Amino acid sequence: MQPSIVEMIYTQKQDIISDWLSEINNVMPSGLAKKIPNEASDETNKKFVELIIESLELTEEAATEKLNEFAQHLIYLGWPLSYFTQGMQAFRRVLLETMSSMESISSKKVFETFYEIETWVDSIINQIADEYSGSWESTIHLQRMALKELSAPLIPVFEKVSVMPLVGTIDTERAKLIMENVLDGIIEHRSQVVLIDITGVPVVDTMVAHHLIQTAEAIRLVGAECILVGIRPEIAQTIVNLGIDLSKFRTKSSLRRGVETGLELTQRKIIKIENDDERIDSR
Amino acid sequence: MSIQSNVEVHTEWGIVSARQAGRNLAKDAGFGNVDQARIATAISELARNIYLYAEKGEIVIQYVEDTESPVSKRGIKIIAKDKGPGISNIRDVMEDGFTTSGGLGAGLPGVKRLMDEFDIHSTAGEGTEITAIKWLR
Amino acid sequence: MRIPILKLHKYLLISVQVELDDQTALQFQEDLLNKIHQEGSIGVVIDLTSVEMIDSYIAKVLGDVVEMSNLMGAKVVLTGIQPAVAITLIDMGIMLNEVPTALDLEQGLEKLQQELEG
Ligand SMILES: Nc1ncnc2c1ncn2[C@@H]1O[C@H](COP(=O)(O)OP(=O)(O)OP(=O)(O)O)[C@@H](O)[C@H]1O
Ligand SMILES: [Mg+2]
Repeated sequence: MQPSIVEMIYTQKQDIISDWLSEINNVMPSGLAKKIPNEASDETNKKFVELIIESLELTEEAATEKLNEFAQHLIYLGWPLSYFTQGMQAFRRVLLETMSSMESISSKKVFETFYEIETWVDSIINQIADEYSGSWESTIHLQRMALKELSAPLIPVFEKVSVMPLVGTIDTERAKLIMENVLDGIIEHRSQVVLIDITGVPVVDTMVAHHLIQTAEAIRLVGAECILVGIRPEIAQTIVNLGIDLSKFRTKSSLRRGVETGLELTQRKIIKIENDDERIDSR
Repeated sequence: MSIQSNVEVHTEWGIVSARQAGRNLAKDAGFGNVDQARIATAISELARNIYLYAEKGEIVIQYVEDTESPVSKRGIKIIAKDKGPGISNIRDVMEDGFTTSGGLGAGLPGVKRLMDEFDIHSTAGEGTEITAIKWLR
Repeated sequence: MRIPILKLHKYLLISVQVELDDQTALQFQEDLLNKIHQEGSIGVVIDLTSVEMIDSYIAKVLGDVVEMSNLMGAKVVLTGIQPAVAITLIDMGIMLNEVPTALDLEQGLEKLQQELEG
């Protein structure tokens, strides 16, 4: 930025700020204006415009850091990106108006610096937009991680026997996560038998069945065995009516039956302790 | 970004170097280990097809960015090109189990499922160019 | 490159530690069949824990090895297939349906003993 312009901005600082503040109140997204108390938004506005002016004399690095910090804070508070873009555009308008109203600056000069101001304002907008999109990506990432945990807790109920309770609708994306989590869980817990419990799955259509079959095949490939449990009567009906072939699956009606089979497959069983004296009373 | 790998395929070793290059690029791009395996396997299939059916050709692996979609996406693109005999019956070769060499016939339909985007251009007598992309999620 | 084949009583143990290129895979097929013939082995465990990728060609070679060994009277178990490899195979539509599997070498051997010696 040309020193004479920077100087002009500094000498006119108070006017620019007050012009900008009235301008920003006009362009503030109306939804936002309602949500945020006046004092808070006045304060943020002041900070923002001072930061813009301050960034003129900072090194690029320092300016970037300050701007990002400010943007981060507002992202955290939930301010929309449009506040920044409109704020910067308003600043450019105010700046150009101030310049052209000043006698000491020729219109030729205004025209010459126009491009420079344009670039400067755009670079700040871009930088803040980047900061925003970065944080959107990490939000999406976090949601995805949460989904991953939510969708697939492989529970090691006994040594070598684990349960995978499925709850809710299964789409392709979720089916992939489930498969990855089951397989990783099998390796982690060294499970030989995995019970997939579909009690909590509202609808089993051909697509869900397809994913279940693929998961069972993958479970077999890593060296474990899969039992499908929790098939409710209406699910059994739809499966047969749709002509879905689950004959490759071991299936059991309930989780309890499944656990029994799982123990059998690993050469164990649950026995009742006959002697009353040895029974541990829970109270 | 302009980082890319070009691997000539005219021996079996070309197949191995192509898939290793692909795995490394996939890892650097931030793909998880399942997607790394998917990308390496897809490259292996395409490279082997070049070696088997066209004798020689080239595998290009590069980073791509899609700035047009609302949320910008990044990923890895595989281009497999050869000047071999070409494929006249594209519909057939995309069927599971179709093979002219006693293989499993899993290669091309498999690549299509392993990757997110798949495109095949081939002219009998002139050659084949297959493009496949995997996006980072 | 050759993949070492270890003998343990009536069984053969193989742990694949190298990148399976086509030549190595075919050489292995031949070596294993010869060894089964030579030793009169009744069971084979092939451990794939270190294998990072199985494409359709390697899958076919492995499937063939299992079938050929069965013809020669040796039962084969594949062990240690990694989750990423399993998922890729499933995506490819390769189920290795007729091939027995187990989590690791130890469990593979156990499986063979159970089935062959009761
Ligand atoms: N680059 C190519 N040039 C010419 N023909 C090709 C090319 N790639 C594939 N084909 C033809 O398409 C058929 C199907 O290919 P695909 O990779 O799906 O199966 P495959 O190579 O026969 O077996 P697999 O890949 O399972 O070992 C091949 O048998 C071959 O006839
Ligand atoms: Mg092929």
